[in-house]
Amino acid sequence: MTVVEGMPPTTVTLRRNFWRGVGRVMRRKPSRMVGVGIVLVFVFMGIFGPLLYPNPLPRDDNALYASPSWAHPFGTDFEGTDVLALVVTGTRYVLLAGLTTAVITVALGTVIGLLAGFHRGRWDTVLMRLTDLQLTIPGLPLLLVLSTVWKFTSPIEMGVVLGLLGWGGIARAVRSQSLSLRERGFIEAAKGLGLSTRHIIGRELLPSMAPYIAMNMLIAVTGAIYAQVGLFFLGVLPFDANNWGVMLNLSVFGGGALSSTAALPYLLAPLLAILLLTLGIVLVVDAMDEIFNPRLREE
Amino acid sequence: MTRTSAPGVRVDDLTVVYKTPAGELPALGGVSLSLAPGTITGIVGESGSGKSTLALSLLNAVQSPGRIKNGTVEIDGLGNIVELKGEDLRKARGRQVGYVFQAAQNSLNPLKTVGKQLLDLGRSHDFDDLPALLKDARSLLGRMGLDGGRVLDSYQHELSGGMRQRVGIMLALVLNAHLVVLDEPTTALDMITQAAILRIVREVHHERGLTTLIVTHDMGVAAEVTDSLAVMYGGRVVEHGPTTEVLGAPRHPYTKGLIRAIPRLSGDIDGATALPGRPPTLGTIPLQGCVFRERCPMRIAVCDTVDPVPVTRDARTVACHAVGRLATPVVPKEYA
Amino acid sequence: MKTVVRRLSGHLARGLAMIWVVTTLSFVIIRNIPGDPVRGQYEKLIEQGMSPDAAERATAALYGFLPKGSLWSQYVDYLNGLIHGNLGQSLSTPGTGVATIIGSAAKWTILPVLGGTLLSFLLGVTLGVYAAVKRSGKLGDALSISGSLLHGVPQYVIALLVVAVFSTLWPILPSGGPVDIMFTPGFNGPYIASLIQHATLPVLTYALASYGGWILAMKSSVATVLGDDFIMAAELRGMSRGILFRYIARNAILPLFTILALSLGMLFGGAIFIESIFNYPGLGLLLVNSIGARDYALMGGTFLVLTVAIVIANIAADLLYAVIDPRVRKGETA
Repeated sequence: MTVVEGMPPTTVTLRRNFWRGVGRVMRRKPSRMVGVGIVLVFVFMGIFGPLLYPNPLPRDDNALYASPSWAHPFGTDFEGTDVLALVVTGTRYVLLAGLTTAVITVALGTVIGLLAGFHRGRWDTVLMRLTDLQLTIPGLPLLLVLSTVWKFTSPIEMGVVLGLLGWGGIARAVRSQSLSLRERGFIEAAKGLGLSTRHIIGRELLPSMAPYIAMNMLIAVTGAIYAQVGLFFLGVLPFDANNWGVMLNLSVFGGGALSSTAALPYLLAPLLAILLLTLGIVLVVDAMDEIFNPRLREE
Repeated sequence: MTRTSAPGVRVDDLTVVYKTPAGELPALGGVSLSLAPGTITGIVGESGSGKSTLALSLLNAVQSPGRIKNGTVEIDGLGNIVELKGEDLRKARGRQVGYVFQAAQNSLNPLKTVGKQLLDLGRSHDFDDLPALLKDARSLLGRMGLDGGRVLDSYQHELSGGMRQRVGIMLALVLNAHLVVLDEPTTALDMITQAAILRIVREVHHERGLTTLIVTHDMGVAAEVTDSLAVMYGGRVVEHGPTTEVLGAPRHPYTKGLIRAIPRLSGDIDGATALPGRPPTLGTIPLQGCVFRERCPMRIAVCDTVDPVPVTRDARTVACHAVGRLATPVVPKEYA
Repeated sequence: MKTVVRRLSGHLARGLAMIWVVTTLSFVIIRNIPGDPVRGQYEKLIEQGMSPDAAERATAALYGFLPKGSLWSQYVDYLNGLIHGNLGQSLSTPGTGVATIIGSAAKWTILPVLGGTLLSFLLGVTLGVYAAVKRSGKLGDALSISGSLLHGVPQYVIALLVVAVFSTLWPILPSGGPVDIMFTPGFNGPYIASLIQHATLPVLTYALASYGGWILAMKSSVATVLGDDFIMAAELRGMSRGILFRYIARNAILPLFTILALSLGMLFGGAIFIESIFNYPGLGLLLVNSIGARDYALMGGTFLVLTVAIVIANIAADLLYAVIDPRVRKGETA
């Protein structure tokens, strides 16, 4: 039904339409712009945050648990360190671990999902059993148990472990996507045209799934962020890492932030950071959802 | 207040528009059509010609983002259905106007047996005598060559496409609706099942004294079952008349082209000639002048500016400037 | 019926496989903890003047396997013990079996988790239908956003906020422990009232933590069902609003049961945070405390029980699914 006009112009139009669609989705709900802005601010803090402050962070022995002021917008902690500085410098560990996790989950999940969906048969069965196992294994308890042998001092290590524990969702999603593409005769058609498996997967399957994978990746990043902050919060990991979770732990279990108000800013600052980052990512995912999923688009 | 005899239907100047980013686009541009009581009327046309929209309009069920902008649909005993709302409209649907979906569609709730859904239908329309309803359904299904009892106890996934379609027809008839609309009732069915379904439709139509409307893109189906035939193009009824006459001596250039495009079972495949060009989509329907002019071999100057008004002459309605000009309809030799 | 049995046995096999993987993991981890706690315990007992035989027996009672022989024979001993229901002995509460401790902790986890899940499921599913139907409206939008946010925020953040609001800033409910110690345990009014008071905030937190997920899942499920042909067919047959609503709701809820299984599993994980924050003596707190106390037998046992709970939740959800969906019941793929 489509008139063959040569590929390049079509792709160019498609791309232009895509960006126009992005623009429209963004404009329709300005909150989405805010989401993108928030995420960018956190990325900036992650990259440049530690450069903005001296290392180690200065302590002010005269101002332990100081109230918020111009010098310390979120007050100080039990040692007199500026809370805002802790949050800003802590961003790097949090984001780096999150990013590592995302890369690993996406890589593992996509490869396993594609293999299972593409080959079907015995491969599929084995890989999906593995995926089921990964999905049902209680991740957080396992992390706690692992923390007895592994201290996760580097964010990369943390990210790798979280990634190994979190690829199941993407694998299953990618598999069902490739199965549904298969059902539509997509792969058979490509095979009929004599295209190589590598070409089909790399050029045909992956691009149509990319948005899906990208969205799952963002969700994986948030999951990883929560998990690591949570582990540090529980206090099963050493306190020398600079992580929002350490702040939460010290304020709740050490500073009694839940029973007195003195340490409340110390508690609220990392909480606020988590909430803001979540908000940013949720808004971005919401926008992506509408860009890629026309079914949800309102008339 | 169910009628016991076939109602007549008069569609007048019906305009349905779809809301799109490019504004409201007309899917039906002022359609007028009447269905004589007790007849089977067919609507044929290419996809996008507005035939399904017209069928849905008979139930005032044009789906969002579309809406009926203008016009009336008068059904005997029911009044103008376009003006019905809420409960009145709901009760008219099913009870007075039965609707049968495309065979390919899954028109049944996958989680309930056919019988339970039938009971739901009965309760929705305040039937007191549910056992009688079940009995009626069983005999209808029996008439269609199915084991009624078994089918009522079945879930959708246990029925074949042809069986589902017969269940759909049963659900459209069981409430004693005397106007029945069938939207592509045989599409996606194999030839044998298709023939069986068409036979059933015709038999039940006569038996129960119905007014029936069949939407199809298959001229063969139209030729087989309909008494009168309306041809649609670009949201207009371009020709309407008794089926044998419309097919035997088409007047509108589009009808002629359509008939010429049908390949014959016997004879040369080259005898079938496709219409040049493509049918208009919602966005490409000309807003001015004749909708068919781009593909029309009989195009004249006035076609560019004026939408031809349907003209009725000896029971046949044609909307074409070129045809209207000729004193007597001449069938060019090449089309005969 | 036959297919249900087959599905069930498949589930059981997979569940057992998972339990095996988890126990093996526990064993490997306990063996690899820096300082080798098993050998350490054994040597400590010898130093205290115990005979090697007695020390061996005491250590075996603690961990379920002997600190000598090949790694393989230790592993076989360990698995053998587990099969006979022997989870070992607790180090931090000497003389008490791990199974007993876990048993008494389990009730503090199961009841609040189930209560919170039920509450959030009912609330989320109802509001999710509304959010799907009124997708373009202000309230529908607000519901979706609130769902996304609550779904996105980690449980410990919700728990901390709940405590901060209802216990610190506006102290109307207690947030520490399962019950006030001033009441005598038993079936008496004040004791039960205190139990309920203390359970309110944890249950509320569980509910808040999972409610967002239900809203989102139900919304997208309803949106899918609304686009299904049979809904339009029912509408055009003049089905009453009530029946139409039931058609939509039942079809839309169906896929949520698989999520229910996974979410119960997640909630057991989330119990770790929520119980830590509320100092609620369930399985999650037990796991954290056992790690803090280096009580590895207790740790392994708790981990195992959490896993078994998830396996059971999975099987239960699958059976429920089979009861509701006739396509599964008759053993056909939809």
